[in-house]
Amino acid sequence: MDAALAIEAKNISKTFHITEDSHNTIKHRLFNLFNPPRASKVEALKTMDFEVKKGECVGLIGRNGCGKSTLTKILAGVYPTDTGYINITGSTLLMNLGVGMSHELTARENVYVSASVLGMKIREIDAIFDKIITFAELEESVDRKIKFFSSGMLARLAFSIAINAGADIMFLDEIFAVGDVKFQEKAIKVFESSWIEGKTVILVSHTMATVQKYCTRTAFMKHGRLEFFGDTEKAIALYMEDNH
Amino acid sequence: MSTGIVKDWSKRSNKLERIWLLAKIEFKLRYYENKLGLFWALLKPIMDMCIYYVAFKVILKSDVPSFASYLFIGLIFWNFFVESTSGAIQILYIKKYLYEYSNMNKLEIYISTLFANSIGFFFNFIMFLLFYNLLESRSVGFAFSNFWIIALFITLFLLSLGLALILSTIYIIAKDITQIWVVFTSFLFFLSPIFYKLSTFRNALPIFEFGNPIAGIIINARRVMMEGLQPDFWLLGFDFGYAFIFLSIGLLFLNKLGSKAAEKL
Repeated sequence: MDAALAIEAKNISKTFHITEDSHNTIKHRLFNLFNPPRASKVEALKTMDFEVKKGECVGLIGRNGCGKSTLTKILAGVYPTDTGYINITGSTLLMNLGVGMSHELTARENVYVSASVLGMKIREIDAIFDKIITFAELEESVDRKIKFFSSGMLARLAFSIAINAGADIMFLDEIFAVGDVKFQEKAIKVFESSWIEGKTVILVSHTMATVQKYCTRTAFMKHGRLEFFGDTEKAIALYMEDNH
Repeated sequence: MSTGIVKDWSKRSNKLERIWLLAKIEFKLRYYENKLGLFWALLKPIMDMCIYYVAFKVILKSDVPSFASYLFIGLIFWNFFVESTSGAIQILYIKKYLYEYSNMNKLEIYISTLFANSIGFFFNFIMFLLFYNLLESRSVGFAFSNFWIIALFITLFLLSLGLALILSTIYIIAKDITQIWVVFTSFLFFLSPIFYKLSTFRNALPIFEFGNPIAGIIINARRVMMEGLQPDFWLLGFDFGYAFIFLSIGLLFLNKLGSKAAEKL
């Protein structure tokens, strides 16, 4: 694998087999041995290649249901691909509304678990712990279980962990819709000022201004197919055309 | 060279730290969120021990020497096995938050859960040592053979890990594996010499100790802890073989079925 590549995906594709019956018990399988359930196929991703270089910010655009989420999950190593192969160099974080936190744990424990999953050592987490909590504005609730948090508090904590701990490769799915206006402004400021530098980012957004501002290359998807991957302006033009 | 690789791996990556962190948090959640604390870990084998003691010693007049200790060591090994297999069937569902947003290796989730169970096991084991050596009138005392318990525990750990991997990945496609395993473990409990006298067990089920790895581990644990003997090496070899086979199948299942956990669960 090329050392400068963060993600290298070749001939990847994904089809979901959706069965109408809840065919997920041994009893049901035995009773329906000669009557297998009818599965409908949903071709979520058609065969494609995808490469992301280290330190690059790549945009991913397309209309709802075009396969953006499936592609990000495959590129992040969360879903397996049906065909081809994928090489991922480093830890990944798929960030949309959360970053994977347990509601049974306190904010403090979640910070340590999430940051550790993202590849940080305990002493490194110790060093940024206060920063994460202060940024999330949760100084008063640090030892409270997050199941007692409001959705805004949860979103702020998740966002703060993500931007302060960060994985080697970040998948940001409409993240600027997090928290109240004040928090959004703060988040965008951090994102713009320094955070994006040196990070490998795949930005999924319906806001073309955001994509235009940050992404050097952009992928445009339609009906599970990668229609175009290259110049951001051209990708946006194709997306706008598809919307009319 | 291999130790160099291990050192390098543990220094550079945070895997060991992460596994230990997850184990500590799981242990804390399990035992420190109630008033009895760590005593809960001890309560289960003690209660089981009381029930079997009354049934087999008081009522059925079992002539097994040091019967309370005999039960105690059998039950702490058995409980670790059940907690690590039955308790881990839904692990990929419960701990989904750890892997649905990142490419974390799922094997670490299993190892950390078994480490959490190991903390409970060691606590119980220390209680057994105190009970056997200080309160048991017919104790043979400490012996060098006691150290074989480490090999037996490693075998039990690997066996339980392998089965946890198999059961939890089957759970992705067959949810009722939970109920099936409960029935199977009840059956296995009565096919293991936990409260039976060993000679009775061997007469009724000749060579079955080689067919049931848990029986083999418990028999050897009593040999090394209560009889001052070396383990039965044939039995230990068989049990390690079972552990290796189940672990290999478990890793294969994790690779094939476990990779679909995020989309299926």
